Amino acid sequence: MALSGISRVRRQLPTSPWLFAAPGLLVTGAFVLYPFLSTLVNAFTDRRTLIPGQFVGLANFRELLQDDMFWTGLRNSTLYVLGVVPPLVVLPLLLALLVQKNIPGITFFRSAFYTPVVASIVVVGLIWVWLLDDRGLVNSLLETVGADRVGFLSDQWLLLLSAMAVTVWKGLGYYMIIYLAALGNVPRELHEAAAVDGAGAVRRFMTVTVPAVRSTMVLVGALSSVAAFKVFSEVYLLAGPSGGPAGEDTTLVMLVQRTGTGLTGRVGYASAIAVVVFVVTVVLMLLVLRADRKEES
Amino acid sequence: MRISRRAFAAAAVAVLLPLSACGSGGGGGGSSDASGKVEGDITFQTWNLRANFKPYFEGLIAEFEKKHPGTKVKWVDQPAEGYADKISADAAGGTLPDVVNVSPDLVAPLAKAGLALDLDKAAPQYEKEYLPGAWAGHRIPGMTGTYAFPWYLNTGPLFYNKTLFKEAGLDPEQPPKTYDELFSAGLKMAEKSGGKVATLANVPTIEDFGRYGVQLMNKQGTAFSFNDDKGVRLLAKYKELYDAKALDPQALTATPESSGKKFLTGAVAMNPGSALDLGNFKKQAPSLYKNIGITDQVTSTGHVNMYVMGVMVNSQSKRKPAAVAFAHFVTDAAHQMSFAKKVAIFPSTAGSLDDPYFTKEDGSDETRVRVAAAKSLKTAVNYTPVLFSEQMKIALRNEVAKALQGKQSPKEALDNAVKECDRLLQQQG
Repeated sequence: MALSGISRVRRQLPTSPWLFAAPGLLVTGAFVLYPFLSTLVNAFTDRRTLIPGQFVGLANFRELLQDDMFWTGLRNSTLYVLGVVPPLVVLPLLLALLVQKNIPGITFFRSAFYTPVVASIVVVGLIWVWLLDDRGLVNSLLETVGADRVGFLSDQWLLLLSAMAVTVWKGLGYYMIIYLAALGNVPRELHEAAAVDGAGAVRRFMTVTVPAVRSTMVLVGALSSVAAFKVFSEVYLLAGPSGGPAGEDTTLVMLVQRTGTGLTGRVGYASAIAVVVFVVTVVLMLLVLRADRKEES
Repeated sequence: MRISRRAFAAAAVAVLLPLSACGSGGGGGGSSDASGKVEGDITFQTWNLRANFKPYFEGLIAEFEKKHPGTKVKWVDQPAEGYADKISADAAGGTLPDVVNVSPDLVAPLAKAGLALDLDKAAPQYEKEYLPGAWAGHRIPGMTGTYAFPWYLNTGPLFYNKTLFKEAGLDPEQPPKTYDELFSAGLKMAEKSGGKVATLANVPTIEDFGRYGVQLMNKQGTAFSFNDDKGVRLLAKYKELYDAKALDPQALTATPESSGKKFLTGAVAMNPGSALDLGNFKKQAPSLYKNIGITDQVTSTGHVNMYVMGVMVNSQSKRKPAAVAFAHFVTDAAHQMSFAKKVAIFPSTAGSLDDPYFTKEDGSDETRVRVAAAKSLKTAVNYTPVLFSEQMKIALRNEVAKALQGKQSPKEALDNAVKECDRLLQQQG
């Protein structure tokens, strides 16, 4: 009886596939699953960096609701999604259409547009700080033409907009490549048929190109919205570690970093914020995918 | 189906079991007994010193190993950026080195978690070798004991741009010494330059409140008190400077690096620094260097601010005798003196500051800065409370920014900052 049980298990659970999968499972378990579950557990404790926590139930989440900085972070992260996703869905598509053509020298432009993607975000941040600083290049040019200096890095809203501009600028090339792959799959005959029917460039774009790359646009929308909600580096580099004037440009991930790190870090509380970030990003993904399904049906 | 449930259960146990072990030991502390033979392998961690002082530390370690046969010191150096995070990770993971370069604010949480060795118990014989103020610099309010050997001290002069002073009609040979003089000079400079030249590039920090004479904490070290009348007066004055553009408009988001750059470009007239900066000025801004003025830190208490570095011994170290002996070796008078001759720092050992190296000028700017700094260090105060964490610094900075922007009054801002800092202090335990 026992032997037949074991052989049944062996039949249903062959060893070799698990052995092949083991390295991947171990890495995923150690670096994805374990930190994720650990964060989830910590969110319900008052754990600090050097002091193991006690279970505190929903206390961290209740505290979040009364924390002005949390609401500031949630507002900024949400505004970031709203400000960054539409240009990141549309502009790379237009850029891809431009560089799709096989004309002499186009490879140079494709590489040039892709350069910001491979550039280190710290270097990108420093360059933009030099450009937008109170005495930077942009303000010097403005002064030269008789205009007043603009406080790109000292005004709460301009600072957030500047960070959004950096994100869009850095992301254009990446999404352009995705669109280039999608555009390569659009049948040329459709464009030719539309052209024969008298459709102009704009009409062909709206009636042929856009429907053909719609699922790619949804993918870009989903990817960029999740990335935008989790924004950290651009705002941190432009606004400084305190999160802009009076911390008004702090995003949720900056808040996680600020609250949960260091020797006196509140790991439990920071984990609770991280859980909120996770839930919101999952909801964002679901919303985008649901909208896509609705559109398809 | 049954198998997949089992497999899932096994996977869940494998993942969740380690979770039950999450969190560091903290609080337990190790034995304070550091007696015994000095031997074995220890690890020594410094704070961004390898790039410039590799030969010095290699020589120091070789000397120690020769003096104590059977010992081996492994030297690790961590970059300045994220140093506290690295220590946090090591402390939480139980991999803290045996001997660690720390500042008092880093020692406080480690001592509270029982990870810093109490030297008053483990090595009281060394106390007399150090300046009393420096030895006391690693005591933690609410705890008994001293948790690190004092290492080097530092204080910085205030640099100012003589040309900008002249253009504003200010005497370049009479820079401001007190905050009141600073405020009036700042307002005059902003007025004369039409708001184009600011005098300062940073919002007031906790050290500014200390130098202005504000009582930062209560005597028991259990609550902050920088929202008193003096504190409010200081912040109100900074608001006046900000409105008049005597404080740089980007001061609300400035870092020491960004304000240093503003000083280099002549956008700001005064900036704190150290003797090391003189070399930078000479290289990066020769025209500024010709017109550089050097003065003491502005203070209304008569005492300048002092930064203290320490060397802590991990209380969980398995080689405590060797760790204590090495920490003392690094910080003893002879080695602090030789280190001070390589870089613009000052020894914390008793009598070292009376060495002619710190008392005699040779006419160069470098010597002038060194002698003046060494003199002021004798009465200097470390104004940063050891319990003032990074989160507290940000809380203060944010509330100060709100006051400067006019979103709340200076009194409200400081009340809120104190409330938040007290809350964080309570959470530190």
